[in-house]
Amino acid sequence: MLKQVVRLLMAALVVSIPYAAAAAERVVDPVKSWDNHLKTWAVVGTVVYLTVTIPLIYFVFKYRRKHKDEDGAYIEGNTGLEILWTIIPMIIIIMLGVQSWAVFNDLREVPKDHIEVKVVAFMYGFEMYTPEGIKTLNELRVPVGNVKVNLTSKDVIHNFALPAFRTREDMVAGENTYLWFYAKEPGEYPVYCAEFCGSGHSSMLAKVIVMKKEDYEAWVKSKQSEAATATLTPEAKGKNLVESLACLGCHGIAGETKAGPALNGLFGKTEELEDGTKVVVDDAFIKEKIADPKAKPIKGFGHIMPPNMLTNEEYEAIAAYLKTIK
Amino acid sequence: MTTAQPTGFKSWLFTTDHKKIGIMYLVTSLVFFVVGLLLAFVMRTEQLDITKKVIIDADLYSTAFTIHGAAMVLFWMIPVLTGFFANYMIPLMIGAHDVAFPRLNALSYWLYVMAGLIAVMALILPGRLDTGWTGYPPYSIVGPSNTAFYVFAVHLLGASSIAGAVNFITTIITLRAPGMKWGRLNLTVWGLFGGFIIQLVGVPVLAAAVTLLLFDKYLGTSFYDGTKGGSPILYEHLFWFYAHPAVYVVALPVFGIVSDIISTFARKKVYGYTSMAIAIMIITVVGFETWVHHLYVAGTLNWTRVVFMWGTIAIGVPTGIKTFNWLATLHKGSIELTTPMLHALGFISLFTIGGVTGIANGLLGLDIQIHDTQWVVAHFHYVLAISMSMLCMGGIYYWFPKFTGKMYNEKLGKIAFWITLIGAMIAFLPQHTLGLDGIPRRYWKLPAKYAPEMRIAVIFSYITIAGFLMTLYNFVHSAIKGEKAPANPWNSKSLEWQIPSPPPFYNFEKIPTITEGPYEYGKPAEEPAKSH
Repeated sequence: MLKQVVRLLMAALVVSIPYAAAAAERVVDPVKSWDNHLKTWAVVGTVVYLTVTIPLIYFVFKYRRKHKDEDGAYIEGNTGLEILWTIIPMIIIIMLGVQSWAVFNDLREVPKDHIEVKVVAFMYGFEMYTPEGIKTLNELRVPVGNVKVNLTSKDVIHNFALPAFRTREDMVAGENTYLWFYAKEPGEYPVYCAEFCGSGHSSMLAKVIVMKKEDYEAWVKSKQSEAATATLTPEAKGKNLVESLACLGCHGIAGETKAGPALNGLFGKTEELEDGTKVVVDDAFIKEKIADPKAKPIKGFGHIMPPNMLTNEEYEAIAAYLKTIK
Repeated sequence: MTTAQPTGFKSWLFTTDHKKIGIMYLVTSLVFFVVGLLLAFVMRTEQLDITKKVIIDADLYSTAFTIHGAAMVLFWMIPVLTGFFANYMIPLMIGAHDVAFPRLNALSYWLYVMAGLIAVMALILPGRLDTGWTGYPPYSIVGPSNTAFYVFAVHLLGASSIAGAVNFITTIITLRAPGMKWGRLNLTVWGLFGGFIIQLVGVPVLAAAVTLLLFDKYLGTSFYDGTKGGSPILYEHLFWFYAHPAVYVVALPVFGIVSDIISTFARKKVYGYTSMAIAIMIITVVGFETWVHHLYVAGTLNWTRVVFMWGTIAIGVPTGIKTFNWLATLHKGSIELTTPMLHALGFISLFTIGGVTGIANGLLGLDIQIHDTQWVVAHFHYVLAISMSMLCMGGIYYWFPKFTGKMYNEKLGKIAFWITLIGAMIAFLPQHTLGLDGIPRRYWKLPAKYAPEMRIAVIFSYITIAGFLMTLYNFVHSAIKGEKAPANPWNSKSLEWQIPSPPPFYNFEKIPTITEGPYEYGKPAEEPAKSH
């Protein structure tokens, strides 16, 4: 009996070699191989489920107890049958496993022709760096083609989840992880953080914008000239600070409430603190709030903002910027 | 030896009787089950509108799913199985007066109560537990959570589990009645035996993992700080080394109870007894080769992920053996659809859905898209949370006449069962769709387009919760007002049913001598020995 088991296992392995060989040739579109894999699983899963539930229901009706003291048939088991339902699941699992292995290789082996970008996560947002060194927030622009994304985090563990490209990977402070995707069609694709990272977890959203090559190059040029000619008014300086300090992960600037209050229209507004006192948002309050956010928590929000020690000039620049956004 | 049963408050407080300790475990774990249900209700209510706040904000939502997970896994499922069922049933099933170390047994229970009190204190005192029941660093270290409560609760619970494991492994090995061979043990005992081995091997690792968490948070060490040479991923490895096998601590006894219930109500010997017991022991061992599937996207080396994929999906084989053996036991049986039997069959149908979706999680290539998504939430509520809670209710119904001496209300039991099953079948189905779209779990708010799916999920969750509450009402009402139960209402052949209900102090007046296994229904009369 053992010999037969070994033979069957060997046969299953031989059958699966073509799958492994297919993995050796690079398939360029992991989305396709993942979708195929899902279909295979769905068919197998449905068959397994019906194989269990149909006999279950049938037996319950067929073998209902007819009279009170009736016993079932005395059957201890059947070695042949028991081996059968050991071997068949084994073969199914080996086939699925080999296919999955091939899909995994597609998803993880970066093709040679690719560009490299970098994404740094923080509570709660993503800083994106293009190969040209342009930094954007919660918005990664890439040209059509293969993109390798190097990942890390500033604080807790986050995850860069790209459902449209069937891939995701954790982002860990002090460690470097990666993923890659094939940016096939121009368009916007959602990014989620898929590792619980605190109260702002579900608002930690971003997008990947895939652009035609020429559009992407034009965008890069415009960004570079913008940086070269930037005039450093206090307002512009404040805007840069707000962006580079990653304030916008938690604060909206279009009236939306995220983990923190929206920044537009905030200056001059009266806010209620947790202890019930009312405060007018002025230059002094903004400075205090940035330096020590936990000292005067505003009612209705969590205590998650990190303190930032800036120069007086910088606090004033931020206040100047806030005055401009209504 | 006295046969008079001591009564009164003190007799419970200072008891070392395995039956009283078992009942105390049951009552305490049911209290935590209700806490878990309430939190489930609160979270589902919050999902009535998935775009803006309904009743709780994001902070409270994180606390709710943390305590929900911890209460359900650590304070309900594991204790009801390794505390109540093990305590009450093992000595009765193997023919012993009590467990091997009765006072250690009492200590186990009181440590569990203290751990529970600490968990409750974490809710009431300032600061809040919001890390998820997994307590991953660095969030549990740098975040607002009062991690010390988590760590100390795990320590006390761990001490309780280790003491329990030592106690019951010793009991099963040394206190079996004469003639109670390993091949004559109830599969419930086999399942618990496997579960206790996992507890003994795994819990110390978990205790070490959370201790380092404590050091990192309060003493400034950096075991889990990636920027100072440590690694938060180390914690994930240590945590899941125990916490994944922990689901088998729940599953193995559950498998055993299913076998016992099916055999009794199909009046038929468990099909393939030996392969059932072997499958339990295989899961006990292979269960420790699976944990990295929780780290499939955690930046672990690619080849380690492949190795653990094989370990993970291999679990499907012994589980399949068990399922097909249950089906074969029903074949040519004499089936009576009592409330416990319905629960066992309902368990199989829910568990198989979760088993099939679990293979998808185990398959490395597939999992990358659905890892840490709503799919996972749906999967483990089918395979573990609801199906196994339901089966625990079935087990309580099954032995209810034995441990209370009263009959439960059969009609209410069946109605409650169908309500729970209908709710459970649908409640988590829609979340599979969200998962395939990659929507992460532990999300306070969701993209607006999933509102219809989530509305269905909420309604059927309410139905599930209502079903469970009816079951609990049935227990309480029947324990007080139920009719007196006969010693063996199911006409079972298993040893625990051969003594009065409830069992007398010290169980057996004289330790019985065992001559056959617990499932010998319809055994043909032995032919007289042929003469040569």
